[in-house]
Amino acid sequence: MENPHDRSDRFELIAACDGDALTRLANEVLADDPPLSVLQEPTPQLVMQQVVEPVERRPFNLGEVVVTPAEVKLGDDRGFAMVPGKNERAALSGAIVDAAVAGGHRLADDIATRLGEVATNRREERAREWAESKHTAVEFETMEDDL
Amino acid sequence: MGYVAVKAGEELIQRAEDLFEKQRLADEDAPITVDQLEGQLERLTAQAMSEAGLYAPRLAALAVKQAQGDTVEAAFLLRAYRSTLERWDESVPVEPSAMFATRRVSPAFKDVPGGQILGPTKDYTQRLLDFELEDEDESGDPTADWDLEDAEPTTLTNVVDVLREEGLVSEPDEPDVDAPTDTTREPVTFPVERDAVLQELARGETGAVTALGYSALRGYGQVHPTLAEVRVGKLPLTIEHPYTGDEVTVADVAVSESEAVVPVYAKRDDPQFAFGYGLTFGRNERKAISMTILDASIQLESEDEPAENAEFVLDVVDGMDSFGFIEHLKLPHYVTFQSILDRIRAIRERKVAGTTDDEAEPAADDGTDPAECESSESEPSDRETIEASDDD
Repeated sequence: MENPHDRSDRFELIAACDGDALTRLANEVLADDPPLSVLQEPTPQLVMQQVVEPVERRPFNLGEVVVTPAEVKLGDDRGFAMVPGKNERAALSGAIVDAAVAGGHRLADDIATRLGEVATNRREERAREWAESKHTAVEFETMEDDL
Repeated sequence: MGYVAVKAGEELIQRAEDLFEKQRLADEDAPITVDQLEGQLERLTAQAMSEAGLYAPRLAALAVKQAQGDTVEAAFLLRAYRSTLERWDESVPVEPSAMFATRRVSPAFKDVPGGQILGPTKDYTQRLLDFELEDEDESGDPTADWDLEDAEPTTLTNVVDVLREEGLVSEPDEPDVDAPTDTTREPVTFPVERDAVLQELARGETGAVTALGYSALRGYGQVHPTLAEVRVGKLPLTIEHPYTGDEVTVADVAVSESEAVVPVYAKRDDPQFAFGYGLTFGRNERKAISMTILDASIQLESEDEPAENAEFVLDVVDGMDSFGFIEHLKLPHYVTFQSILDRIRAIRERKVAGTTDDEAEPAADDGTDPAECESSESEPSDRETIEASDDD
């Protein structure tokens, strides 16, 4: 999830990016008025979360997650994004951003830098969350000897 | 038996709805925002998502707001919304070991690998009302002055894997199904596969799942487990990227998980543990633990106790089913009830008439009441007639 120029990594970065930030990036791309066609309208859909039960190692359906996918064609380049929740604007913006980087748009490096910041923020946030949890790590002591 | 439609003034129904809305807005303060609900009442939105079987934190906050805090109603709203959406696909099945856990305690193992991490909890404090919250103004971060150590986030070793290394858990057989049962698309039939049990329990109503799990502990069952671990954290939602085919993560899904060990004495030559498993959307440890007990109980395949009877458990744990059936009773049943009234009146009239006839006519020579003969041969009994008139 570190390289914004890699399509799969970029997908994850876009999915983790703030919706308003994606919209700003997409608007910057569209300021040049490039030819844009929407291949898949951004519409909320469901992904069934499957989990492998750890004892029998048997997958089961935990429940569905709401996501919003979108796909566009920007010039000759296709872009695809899927964001968590019901967020049509973010999904469409994400697909435009994806296509822009894939096609080497003049803003591609700027976009990559911004998406790189998403990765950094996410890493720091997770590290902070982990450090806070570790701060509550405890060693329980049995009190048999005290009784 | 069928339902009989009634109609009423649409305007009056609208007025009742307006009054309901007025209750939500009656206070002089500004309406509570969806952001506040999502951020500060996470347990409430988690319960709604869990019981809806739909993970969507913001929509759950909206549903809780609309339902004025009624979690089952909120879950109903979420399921109704869900029914309007297409399914993109199933996720790549994720191993629970991929969870980014922020809390993990093991009641079974004191020195569990990875340690006991209490995480955010009030489990070990007294349950006393905090009156200072009444006048709370600016929220301060009570962890602001913590001196945190740098540590690379890591996943925690699953306790089942620890036991498996010791040979205390049997190696699983390969599941004989390619894709798990999806109870949102296929009706649950009995005997039921375990994957369907887990899915149904995962979206069961918290109170129902807790009550039935508790029943096993109170003696109406054989399962009194030791919890191997309870974890709270996030599982990745992973799909195959349509262009690259790589497995990519779309979202982190907050979950609560519980595993229980249950001694099995059937295999005396090779004693091992049996297990129960619980996993549910959002922070809801109570439900996850109860699900664990029910999973272990249902695996006993007994009909001796309610919690061990899959059909009984799965028929009553779904909040939408119970909500709908219980609450429909307050809807108009005028035609049904009028029918019952008519029949009861008719019975009473017949009995009065029979008494009069008895007084007027002596019994038949064989000692049989002629009225009873007619009833038993040509018509159902009075009790059968009343029960058959119930339209439910």
